[in-house]
Amino acid sequence: MAADNQANWAARRRIAAGWAHHLWHDKAGLFGLAIVVLLIVVAAAAPLLAPYDPAAQALRDRLLPPAWLAGGQLAHLLGTDQLGRDVLSRLIFGSRVSLVVGAGVVLLAGAFGTALGMLAGYCGGRVDDFVMRWVDTQVAFPGLLLALVILVVVGANVPSLIIVLSLNGWMVYARMARGSVLGLRQLPYVEAAQMIGCRGRRVIFRHILPNLTSPLLTLSILEFARIILAEAALSFLGMGVQPPGSSWGLDVAIGKDYMFRAWWLVTFPGAAIALTVLGVNLLASWLRVVTDPREREKQFARRMARKRHAEPVPAAAASVEARP
Amino acid sequence: MSRIARMALCALLWSGVTAAAGAQEITVGLGSEPTTLDPQAQEDGSERAVNDNIYETLMVRTADGSLAPGLAAAVPTAVDATTWLVKLRPGIKFHDGSAFNADTVAFSINRIINPKFKSAQLSFFNTIANASKVDDLTVKIITKGPDPLVPVRLYWMKMVPEAYAASDKFAAAPIGTGPYKFVAWNRGSNITIAANPDYWGAKPQIQKATYRFVPESGTLLAGLMAGELDLVPNLLPEFIGQVPKSAHIQSVLHPVLILNADGGITKDPRVRQALNYAIDKEALTKALFEGYGKIDQGQLLSSDDFGFDKTTTAYPYDPAKAKKLLAEAGAANGTLQIVGTSGRWLKDRETVEAVAAFWEQAGLHVDLKILEWNEYLKRLWDRQSRPDAIYVASKDPLLDPDRPFSTYYQAGGMGASNTDPKLAELVTKARTEINNEERAKLYRESIRIAHDQAYLAWLLTYEDLYGLSQRLTFSPRPDGKMLVSTMSVAK
Repeated sequence: MAADNQANWAARRRIAAGWAHHLWHDKAGLFGLAIVVLLIVVAAAAPLLAPYDPAAQALRDRLLPPAWLAGGQLAHLLGTDQLGRDVLSRLIFGSRVSLVVGAGVVLLAGAFGTALGMLAGYCGGRVDDFVMRWVDTQVAFPGLLLALVILVVVGANVPSLIIVLSLNGWMVYARMARGSVLGLRQLPYVEAAQMIGCRGRRVIFRHILPNLTSPLLTLSILEFARIILAEAALSFLGMGVQPPGSSWGLDVAIGKDYMFRAWWLVTFPGAAIALTVLGVNLLASWLRVVTDPREREKQFARRMARKRHAEPVPAAAASVEARP
Repeated sequence: MSRIARMALCALLWSGVTAAAGAQEITVGLGSEPTTLDPQAQEDGSERAVNDNIYETLMVRTADGSLAPGLAAAVPTAVDATTWLVKLRPGIKFHDGSAFNADTVAFSINRIINPKFKSAQLSFFNTIANASKVDDLTVKIITKGPDPLVPVRLYWMKMVPEAYAASDKFAAAPIGTGPYKFVAWNRGSNITIAANPDYWGAKPQIQKATYRFVPESGTLLAGLMAGELDLVPNLLPEFIGQVPKSAHIQSVLHPVLILNADGGITKDPRVRQALNYAIDKEALTKALFEGYGKIDQGQLLSSDDFGFDKTTTAYPYDPAKAKKLLAEAGAANGTLQIVGTSGRWLKDRETVEAVAAFWEQAGLHVDLKILEWNEYLKRLWDRQSRPDAIYVASKDPLLDPDRPFSTYYQAGGMGASNTDPKLAELVTKARTEINNEERAKLYRESIRIAHDQAYLAWLLTYEDLYGLSQRLTFSPRPDGKMLVSTMSVAK
């Protein structure tokens, strides 16, 4: 048993080392990881990093430009907003809501939607009908109305915002997962697993789910960016983050009104959103490659090919290959 | 940002929206499309922007805001406490050729007050019982009780043609008596009106006006700077320096916070006074509104409004006194709830956030909730539980204290948070007082009570700003109407 465990650990270490090795060679992925780590650190250490309280107002110092422009002050590196609040501090604190909501919704909606979608695709029949009609019904139902009803009942705050956005966002995952599972179910190795008596749960999670990683990741990234903006829209209407709290999206939504006079109100939080999406994207593209079984096969094939090139080709084999 | 970059941005935002305005044509940018063009059905600023030029009213406001006869030949006269006679101008015709007469007026009045019609403007006219024809050019209006405001109300009511109003085209292709005729409504894009050659009054200079619906404020501004738009209302003060020309006038809106005098932390009058002392109204006016406004002198009225009390002045900004009063009332570290909304009134979110910060500085813990519009309205009109403080921009389109006072001061009013019997009695008395001098006195007395008790936290009255193209001349009016007939363009 102990030896078994050890072998297991060794295998895992090998896989982890392989991933790290791959990451080191995938410079874009490394860059993405750096951005994501940086963002998480900034969000976690916001009170230590921010020069001011993000809610501290100074009406008479409102709309100051960034420090390097005429009229800017070094005290406010990225300028001040429409109420004289420090843009840099708001940017640092705003990362918290944006990241938590973005990640929370993607995880919650993704897990729920994928699970239901896989179930529908694997079981088929009535289960499939039931789940897919549910999806259809909810897609047809106006999301804003649902959001309103829920937020009126539970009150507007970050957790309820995550729940509301998840309830409006899980359907795409379900549709995607079902579509993929329908295709995968016919594959020989899935049928083989069923044939040797694997339980449904094992087939779904061991043999089908890994194949979904790649499309799931791609969809999640797209959703992540959409969620950040959806959070802004809801917060702007008064259905999300409440003052003095803020988020990047909310600052963009409010700053938009002042765009012609104070471009920095939109530009910095907007750039932060763009950078986050870029970072997550690059990281995910690496993750997609290392987790996708088909990608692994391709890499394995490439490695073998390289090895073969390195070794001298046996004459006999060459003559065999030359035959028609 | 450099000028070139800004111009590039303008061009980018404005690409796709083109139409060169000719010599005597103007283009007006509106933030939203009218919901209907029936002038009596909705309470909709975009509808009014168009219909104020197509339809006319019995009474009008002159450029300085005073009442004058419009379609009426003279100011209506009160025969007794509840009966008014209105004489009409002869020889006026609707755009379709039908005559404007006593039948039309009686029909128009009875149409809008009919509860089955469900007009959103009904609250302006709910004191009127009915109207009937006396002779071809005389109409009798009966009110439910004594109502000194009948002439003022008639300034708000547009006269519609009886036969055509029944047609189902009426809400989409309006016909009025005004200086401009309806030409076309391209849904989702624009409305065009053109000068009426048979107009009974002075002929306007501008021959054609187009209203474009541009929901994005940045795009509106870009259109103005690119010369595609001639007039853009509701400009933010921040952009005054960037538009070709601008004009401003006292708004009919008074942003305030209604304080709950019946319960919670604000039950103690000292707390309510402290809240007033704690707000730096000067900073709000000078900084947040960039000087385009005046401090509200604690009365929900502007200084040239009827009923304004010169002896009442705003609570000065005195944070020390605010802290002292709060301590005396035992509310030094109390928690106070504020309810506000976003995107409905000029800088509504910014104003309420600024006020919250001032109250935090006075030592209170502020729980600020920015609610979605419908949810906010529910709280505002909820008579059972009142928030400690709720933001509202009180609107006074009739330019008379009755409406704002009976809504926000009088106990039981839709948005009032007090149960002061004396104040309620004064407002009721003023509503039925025919003598104007006496009425003004009653209002001044109610202002003093409301101010001493600090039933509201008064902030400021801001100005309505209009962005104008270089070639357009327009003097904004106190009633907020954008009358194309009063505008002119340089040739």
